[in-house]
Amino acid sequence: MILRFEGVSYNYPGIVTPALDGLNLTVHPGENVLVAGSSGSGKSTFCRACIGLIPHFHHGELIGNVFVDGLDTRQHSVHELFRHAGLVFQNPDAQLFNQTVEAELVYGLESLGMGPSEIEKRLAWASRLTELDSLMSRSPHTLSGGEKQRVALGTILTLRPRLLLLDEPFTHLDPEATEALRKILRSMKSEGITTIIVEHRLHEIIQDVDRIIVFHRGRTAAEGPPHQVLAGEISDYGLNLPPLLRLFRDFGVKNPVFDVDEAIVELKAQNLLTPFYDRLIGQSSNPSNALAPLMHPVVELEDLWFNYDGNSVLKGIDLTLRKGECVALLGRNGAGKTTLIKYLNGLLKPQRGLVRIFGSDTRKKPVSELSRHVSLVWQNPNDQIFRPTVREEVLTGPKIFDAYDPLWCDQLFDRFGLLPLLDRSPFSLSEGQKKRVSFAAALSVKPDLIVLDEPTAGQDEPSRRQLTSILGRLREEGQTILFVTHDLEFAAEHASRWLILSDGKIIADGSSDVVMAESTAMAKAGLRPTHRFQLIQAVKRLRENKT
Amino acid sequence: MILLMAFSHSIFLAASLGILITLVLFLRLSLLWFNFLKGLGFAVLTFFLIAWLAFDLQTGIVSGLRLLNIGTVFFLFFQTTPPELLSNGLLKMGFPYPFTFVLSASMQFIPVLIRHARNIRDAQRARGIPIEGGIRSIFYLPAFAGPLLIQAFKFADELAEAMEARGFGISGRSFHHEPRFTWIDWMAVAISFTVLTVALSIRFL
Repeated sequence: MILRFEGVSYNYPGIVTPALDGLNLTVHPGENVLVAGSSGSGKSTFCRACIGLIPHFHHGELIGNVFVDGLDTRQHSVHELFRHAGLVFQNPDAQLFNQTVEAELVYGLESLGMGPSEIEKRLAWASRLTELDSLMSRSPHTLSGGEKQRVALGTILTLRPRLLLLDEPFTHLDPEATEALRKILRSMKSEGITTIIVEHRLHEIIQDVDRIIVFHRGRTAAEGPPHQVLAGEISDYGLNLPPLLRLFRDFGVKNPVFDVDEAIVELKAQNLLTPFYDRLIGQSSNPSNALAPLMHPVVELEDLWFNYDGNSVLKGIDLTLRKGECVALLGRNGAGKTTLIKYLNGLLKPQRGLVRIFGSDTRKKPVSELSRHVSLVWQNPNDQIFRPTVREEVLTGPKIFDAYDPLWCDQLFDRFGLLPLLDRSPFSLSEGQKKRVSFAAALSVKPDLIVLDEPTAGQDEPSRRQLTSILGRLREEGQTILFVTHDLEFAAEHASRWLILSDGKIIADGSSDVVMAESTAMAKAGLRPTHRFQLIQAVKRLRENKT
Repeated sequence: MILLMAFSHSIFLAASLGILITLVLFLRLSLLWFNFLKGLGFAVLTFFLIAWLAFDLQTGIVSGLRLLNIGTVFFLFFQTTPPELLSNGLLKMGFPYPFTFVLSASMQFIPVLIRHARNIRDAQRARGIPIEGGIRSIFYLPAFAGPLLIQAFKFADELAEAMEARGFGISGRSFHHEPRFTWIDWMAVAISFTVLTVALSIRFL
């Protein structure tokens, strides 16, 4: 046994609700374990307890015992434990503190006072596993999100810990970087390293793990092999289930399936191919918007170019967003998506090309005027909250624009579930609640277009469901929406139109089904069709073969 | 630097500025240097004017040139010395590791903080908050400073955890690239001392 929690409870200093509440668990050498749970279920606290940060770094009350690689964490300091168990933290930026990738990777070994030949050997091994050879002399802060994540993993791997923990490693990765990380994790499994991945999104990793442990309110709520756990009743635990599994549950099939092949086998076995297919086709996943071409344009972009540091980030974007459209903007990290949305409210002004909001050139109007029409909801709500109460935070915009509509704002408070929070400090809220506050603040000025940057990133299932229902209602009311996302399931559910941005150009534009069928464009942007789409295609092929 | 302080004749100062500018050109740093001058130029001008008005033109020119020289020396030093080498050097001289580490790491995080600051500025401007320019922006200072400070504190906390978990502060640390005093370094020291001695003897003897 490599990790053992015996009746562990823990309270952060000054906080009454326990973060861990009588947790018992055991992990054996060589196992690949997924620890799943919604935010606030105790996942990150669990990680900190595994490497001794609790109780040595975070004080507070710890009851019970934690054994890592046979060592009692209470008796051994973080500095003794870190060669036995390593943790890749959630935020890659805050764990890279050296000048070069190489210095970063060897830091832990230098701490141990290791000699140069051993350091060289381990460096070579870890950099090969994490595919960092070509980046060795770069500064970590100039790397992409996926690369930083790999460096963070490498810093731990050089220490050759017997237990490796990763805290929500996929949150900010695009589909391609996610796939790359999965590949690395699989090769680590073959090296015999025990791995614990902490996540609330299951579909990225579920096929690679031996066991799932579900956390709920600081203790184990369910555990076992993936198929067994997911066949049980787990809907109360706020997990983001694999999309095919959800589809099957809606259809009344209980057996859990994780990929398209499994789904086909299961459907054949139960003789459900035809009814399932008919139903999938019947409930068109695609929110249609037949009227869109007739509506007047809200934002028009003509041959928009953007250069930064001598590189062209945007290379001639032509785009018209019409009233009532719900558009998903997709593409790799670094493809220019965030840059593009900054043009939509005048934060960036075109150097070459033209941007018009309701027909007027954005170069001639200040942001403060344009943002009355176009509101942005940023990925990180902490970038904007500064008021003492939630109410004041939401009403900041309307007060500035002198556009306070009490009826509309009260309705927003209700819709976003903010009524019980109005007098609380926005700083004290959970990340999901903060997201809702910033969303409500953006809508409070009744914008003509609302733009959301990665609305679902880092959000657990309950919070994602809330966003889904709010967005659905806005769409019905005819609100024009554009969102940037890597979450194709979310995009397929909401967007009437998909845009793929790749290498500064829009390479696909149409309904989700049309875009997903354009396999070259999808591949170029590192995207894969949703499971639902893949399943429909697979069944279609089967039926064609029969006839 | 000692030289710059010792010499008060404008010709010497102009000559040393010439040498420094040649170095700047030689190291292909001229563009960066011009950007740097945008900041320093104002200070030099003010210094020159004050010294001129308070004393005479000669003192003004000398003071201005001196400041320009010192600024350029600092510029060259930091452009050509990676923070890591600087901190390693200090470490070898006997400074404690936490001190030298903080010195190099804080430079490392400047770009990260700038990125945070830029995101916050964009986020607030997009809400119509006038956080740059104008008298009104003073009222909205918390809109910028609040989120920035809170994120910086959170960042520092997370960083401290990560450093602890990688063994920061354990005694007996080894160094993968151990800095060594090679013959080039001895040569540099010897040349510097010779030049200094010669210059000082010209000035004072």
